[in-house]
Amino acid sequence: MNSKIIKTWFLVLIVMVTSCELPDNIDPKRAADVTPDVLVSNSEIALFNLMGSVNVNRNVTRLLAQYQSEVTYVTESRYNFQDRQIPDYHWGVLYRDVLTNLEKAKSLINSTAFADPQEKLNKIAIIEVLEVYSYQLLLDAFGNIPYTEALQGAANSTPKYDDAKTVYLDILSRLSKAVTDLSNDNGSAGFGSADLLYNSNIAKWKEFSASLKLRIGLRLADSNPTEAAKAVQEAITSGVFTSQSNSAIFIYTGTAPYVNSYYQEFVLGNRKDFCPTNTLVDKMKALNDPRMPVWFTKYLGEFVGLPYGKVGASSYSKFSHFTSIPNPVYPVIISDYVEVEFLLAEAAERGMVGVTGSAESHYNNAITQSMLYWGLTQADADTYLAEPSVAYATAATNWKQKIGDQKWLALFDRGNEAWAEWRRLDFPILNPPENMTYNDIPQRMPYPYNENKMNPANYSEAASAIGGDNASTKLFWDKY
Amino acid sequence: MRKLSFLLVILLLSATQLLAQRTITGKVTSADDGNGIPGVTVLVKGTSNGVLTDLDGKYSINVLKDATALQFSFVGMTKQEIALTATNVVNVVMQSEAQNIEGVVVTALGITREKKSLGYAVQEIGGDQIKGSRESNFVNAISGKIAGVQIKQSSTMGGSTNVLIRGNKSLTGNNQALFVIDGVPFDNSISNTAYVANGQGGYDYGNTASDINPEDIESMSVLKGAAATVLYGSRAANGVILITTKKGSTNKGVGVTINSGVFSTTADKSTLPKIQKEYGGGYGAYYEDPTGYFWYADLKGTGTPQLIVPTSEDASWGAKFDPNIKVIDWVGLDPLDPVNYLREVPWVAAKHDIRDFFENGVKYTNSVAVDGGNDLGHFRVSYTNNTETGIMPNSKMKKNMLSFNGSYNFTKKFSVESSASYVKDDNIGRYGTGYDPGNPMQSLGQWFQANVDIQDLKKYVINPDGSQRTWNYAYYDDFSPIYHNNIYWTRNVNYETDGRNRLFGYVNAQYKILPSLTLEARGATDYYSEKQEERIAIGSNQTSEYNEFLRNFNETNFDLMLKFNKAFAEKWSTTGVIGANSRRTLSTSIYGSTIGGLQVPDLYILMNSKSPVTTTETNYLSGVNSLYGNISLGYNNLVYFDLSGRAEKSSTLPASTNLYFYPSVSTSFVLSQLPGIKDIKQISFAKLRLNYASVGNSAPVYSTRSYYNKLTNWKSIGVFAMPTILPNDKLKPESTRSIEAGLEASFFEKRLGFDISYYKTNTIDQIMPVNISRASGYNQRYVNSGEVENKGIELALNATPIIVGGFSWDIQVNWFQNKNKVLSLYEGVENILLSSAWDISTNITVGEPFGVLRGTNFVYTNGKRTVDADGNYLYAKDADGNLITDAILGNVQPDWNSGISNTFHYKGISLYALIDISHGGSIYSVDQKYGVATGLFEETAGLNAKGKPKRDPVADGGGIILDGVKEDGTPNDIYIWAGDWGGAWLYDYIPTAAYVYDASYVKLREVSITYALPSQIIKKTPFTKLSVGISGRNLWIIHKNTPYFDPETNMSAGNIQGIADGAYPSTRTYGVNITVGF
Repeated sequence: MNSKIIKTWFLVLIVMVTSCELPDNIDPKRAADVTPDVLVSNSEIALFNLMGSVNVNRNVTRLLAQYQSEVTYVTESRYNFQDRQIPDYHWGVLYRDVLTNLEKAKSLINSTAFADPQEKLNKIAIIEVLEVYSYQLLLDAFGNIPYTEALQGAANSTPKYDDAKTVYLDILSRLSKAVTDLSNDNGSAGFGSADLLYNSNIAKWKEFSASLKLRIGLRLADSNPTEAAKAVQEAITSGVFTSQSNSAIFIYTGTAPYVNSYYQEFVLGNRKDFCPTNTLVDKMKALNDPRMPVWFTKYLGEFVGLPYGKVGASSYSKFSHFTSIPNPVYPVIISDYVEVEFLLAEAAERGMVGVTGSAESHYNNAITQSMLYWGLTQADADTYLAEPSVAYATAATNWKQKIGDQKWLALFDRGNEAWAEWRRLDFPILNPPENMTYNDIPQRMPYPYNENKMNPANYSEAASAIGGDNASTKLFWDKY
Repeated sequence: MRKLSFLLVILLLSATQLLAQRTITGKVTSADDGNGIPGVTVLVKGTSNGVLTDLDGKYSINVLKDATALQFSFVGMTKQEIALTATNVVNVVMQSEAQNIEGVVVTALGITREKKSLGYAVQEIGGDQIKGSRESNFVNAISGKIAGVQIKQSSTMGGSTNVLIRGNKSLTGNNQALFVIDGVPFDNSISNTAYVANGQGGYDYGNTASDINPEDIESMSVLKGAAATVLYGSRAANGVILITTKKGSTNKGVGVTINSGVFSTTADKSTLPKIQKEYGGGYGAYYEDPTGYFWYADLKGTGTPQLIVPTSEDASWGAKFDPNIKVIDWVGLDPLDPVNYLREVPWVAAKHDIRDFFENGVKYTNSVAVDGGNDLGHFRVSYTNNTETGIMPNSKMKKNMLSFNGSYNFTKKFSVESSASYVKDDNIGRYGTGYDPGNPMQSLGQWFQANVDIQDLKKYVINPDGSQRTWNYAYYDDFSPIYHNNIYWTRNVNYETDGRNRLFGYVNAQYKILPSLTLEARGATDYYSEKQEERIAIGSNQTSEYNEFLRNFNETNFDLMLKFNKAFAEKWSTTGVIGANSRRTLSTSIYGSTIGGLQVPDLYILMNSKSPVTTTETNYLSGVNSLYGNISLGYNNLVYFDLSGRAEKSSTLPASTNLYFYPSVSTSFVLSQLPGIKDIKQISFAKLRLNYASVGNSAPVYSTRSYYNKLTNWKSIGVFAMPTILPNDKLKPESTRSIEAGLEASFFEKRLGFDISYYKTNTIDQIMPVNISRASGYNQRYVNSGEVENKGIELALNATPIIVGGFSWDIQVNWFQNKNKVLSLYEGVENILLSSAWDISTNITVGEPFGVLRGTNFVYTNGKRTVDADGNYLYAKDADGNLITDAILGNVQPDWNSGISNTFHYKGISLYALIDISHGGSIYSVDQKYGVATGLFEETAGLNAKGKPKRDPVADGGGIILDGVKEDGTPNDIYIWAGDWGGAWLYDYIPTAAYVYDASYVKLREVSITYALPSQIIKKTPFTKLSVGISGRNLWIIHKNTPYFDPETNMSAGNIQGIADGAYPSTRTYGVNITVGF
């Protein structure tokens, strides 16, 4: 009798359990599918934000290049990378927020049929240029990096590190293909307005990618002169920037969260953390550089630079400040005509094939273009160029110093590129932080602290391959 | 469902047809106190037909016409036999045997069991022990009272309490105990953001179990191991706190109980830093006047510049105090205050410092309960109002709780019980936590000027134009706060508000198919809606902001159970249940925040945003269908054997793995029933228990497929990002396996007793997001991996050393040790980072207990900290000479915990005192790191061993010697300069290990004195009960090894523990409570 009830009961329960349907495990509040263009927009924002950021948690290259120094909390100016895990951030943004998104966009494009095959080529090429740029930032910060096994998600969560020399050549060849592929024939566009840098102007993309190739070529000039010369020649043939109007300059909308980092930190965040350095201000004062009032405010009628990397606090009020602070749409320069002219000057000095014009003419034009960009006049530029310490003939004895000093001034506010070129050209002469030596100025970023924990075997191998995971380890292209 | 109800009807009809006999009902009460005795075996003489009495001691049994008598038996009571007559009501009063009662206990699913029959550990506490001190979060009151339960309470008003039973089992998931009220799960979500737990700021919004009204709690039993909780399914792997609420009594008519209490809360000053009184604001001699310590400008126009305090500097490495020096301080700088503008004041230490900031909080608790009943049913209605102010300005919590519970017997076989409670919380001004401008302790306890007086801050908060006045002006002509707001601005202007409305209830219908078979159906729901609003006013040091978080939570449970209970032959008994559960959980939320600041001041709505508002919406829906069963077999009150199992189908796992089953077996062996032992008079009771159990657990919702994240549009262009966590569509259930053995015994007529348990729990195949190399493109991926082991010993001792006349003394000691070890993580991953802040990180490391603190370490020579030739500490480096940044510095888990309580009774007076001990474990203090680095704390000033001021230059005899030895092992005798910001001592030049402290403590947790009017006197009054109590909590930290702060301090409940950052003082509570019944 009881067993009958229990049997029936079991039946009841099973019916109950099976008839109550379980909910689907699908999130109704997030997108499972998107179009590639929204991912490209995201990648550009993440990439250019990283370049533009002055937040010491995100980008300290303006400190490394000694454009800025900290006022009160001097840890990062004194090369402590650990407390704020700066390498982790740089690495994380580029791999996770930029490259993964670009790769996904690429795979979505590749699985789509296009009526216009050129449109597809353009889209892929734009993505490739952004990827090459991102990889170069990783290579220039760290040295050897995961590349062939990178971005594989669950398939490989401990990617091996590749030799930086080899990766450099690979991104160069990818860039070469992109330069070739980019074409506005038949009016083929790219991502339309989702491309926040150029609004999908293919001609501009083509010039930007050739200019980037010029940059990469010269980065290799000391370590691999053959490939460097080839890249430079090809870049010039493809057509680098010939005026400032096509330069890669990223402009914020001016509406938070898309505002310039100076505005974000100083105005919205109400911080007053850094001032222009004495390295920069003293140099410019010595040269009577007319860009000073464009970039800095005065303290008691004078331009006063904060001693770089000083021990102890300083008073923000006693130094010059950046004029960019109140401007939410202050631009972030990625690559421009000024830089191209400096690169051509160097290529001319190195006697590379394909460069027309003398080193001096490119040098003069680079400086003039910089003056014009910052709202100064041709006359200002001429006066400046007439200064014996600026004039190409008399500025310094060796071309690396002439170009190094002036390029560093012209790369103002572009910490990543300025830090890389300082390492390669060894000029300008920077100021070691108080109680430190010149050799303490970092030659690279230590690998992310996370890598040591999450990818230990490959990390250790890479660390020993590059000669130790230290800030003082020189990168392969930094031969001198 | 239609199919289901049809089947039910069939079942019920067929069951009814089997019935024929008459039904005897009645109630079994105790001669001692007249209360009903639950769990009494009622057996028809000469048959195997028997039932157990219910919670109220009532029973109902069907007997055949030829039945002659009923036998009533209960352990510890004299067995009785009552002959049957014509009447169908048989009430029985049972007498205690010399032996005491072993008792009954409520177990999983609300099943009442004889305690002696249980093969697993259950520990109980009565409602009186919880509500004694009227903790606003009743969970705190468990601390020290149960072996194996670790409670870590928040020091913020209404903050969350961490409840761990037998250690951390899940690596990254929820480790909090499950709360169950009258058989129904009660949600205990902690909706704090990760920022709060990491110490990055935000408010601790508490844990939602604090909605449980202690006034309604009759008793609590804690089910510690998986064998005890297996019937509750996956969520119970962390242990269950079972709460039985008060029910109306059926035999007294209508009774009213009124309770009223008032309590005072004060900051425990032993947990606040001591501020030096010798040097004022500044970072050193870097400024404008000839000494370098002050700003210097002729603000008065006298022709001679005045000394101005460098208000922008949030440290106290400034000029030595000297009343002869006259300075313009922050109060005198603002031209909008004509009274004080350009006033010059002596350069002296603040009269009022951090110790004067905290106020006294007051807590009122008032409740009224009405209960009553008769043979047909009972009811209880209660209303409680709690109002509490915190120890900081503008902080207040209000809670209104209304509950109803009732039952009605429609027929002798069919009864319905229902319960509903409504809770409304309204709070204002919770304390900001962590390293954040919302936390006044960030400035007061870390970054501050020793010359700034708290009374001035209180007096000068807002200018007539609405702008802020703060000690931390950017410059003498720039009155924007550079780093820190005035703490009164933080409290009074940038405050939060929050609230919750909650409805919890169930309907439970019982039908007795047979005397031995009961069909029970229960529907329960737990619903709440909560809102949190946070404000940052225009004029604060951060971007002004308003944000709002709305969340709705709903869990419904439907249970169908068939319970049976049968004794057969003379010596065998069996009880059991076969049931099914369907659970659905839906949590939806929307969070909106202004972006880029507020347009107009004082308008806290989302539309007042400068840039377009951002919103985040969630909708988490999950469900589990389960079948479960339990059978318990007992022989001759000597041996009991339990078998349980549960099969679950979960919506959050992939279809191929979402059905899983787990079993448990347990046995109880009553040694004192054995012939040899039975006769030993000294042994009152002895029992051995043993069990094995396994519990499965499912995955977090939506972790099996990938989604894009929506970011703010760029103008009108959409922006989406790839997820940063990789989903996993191959997840399978995780499982916890445990074994447990225990022995409990009592001696000398129960004057002495102990209960000891040993357990080992292994949690395997954990579902967790693990950090992976970001070069893979993601931060984390979900895996099924890892194993955590918890081994432990729990000991409960109780003794009654003295009973003389009206006086008695009881001692209860709980001691437990949980040894947690992470056996494996994931493929070659040796470490999972839980959180990191500055140079300290909290980790899960293979081979170590959960919660390893890592950072840089000292070099030790003969066990002593070693300094270099300059007298600065050396950092530990690896063989290649690289700095070790992840040296293991400690662990957050205590070695053992203990609670010792003493209770003294004398006539109507009882005195209770509880000492709570935690031994071992580590805690890192950000406050110490910065409080010392900024020259704020007492130890940064004063004289050195030479009798010279520490802050004087070394050349002048000043400086300090760091504690330790030189590299050759001889004691360090090198003086270094003390006053250098970020320099010579205690910031950049000191390893992380310097601020890792032993978290042991001994606390006088609770003391209460209660006087209840004796029953002889009460009888002459209109009252049925009258008692007055005085009680206090957290009265005294008897011992600690941390410099200032309370070692118990934490950011939030959850897995990240062991960091003190912006820690508040702990609070003492004491007050009076009166209870009247009539």
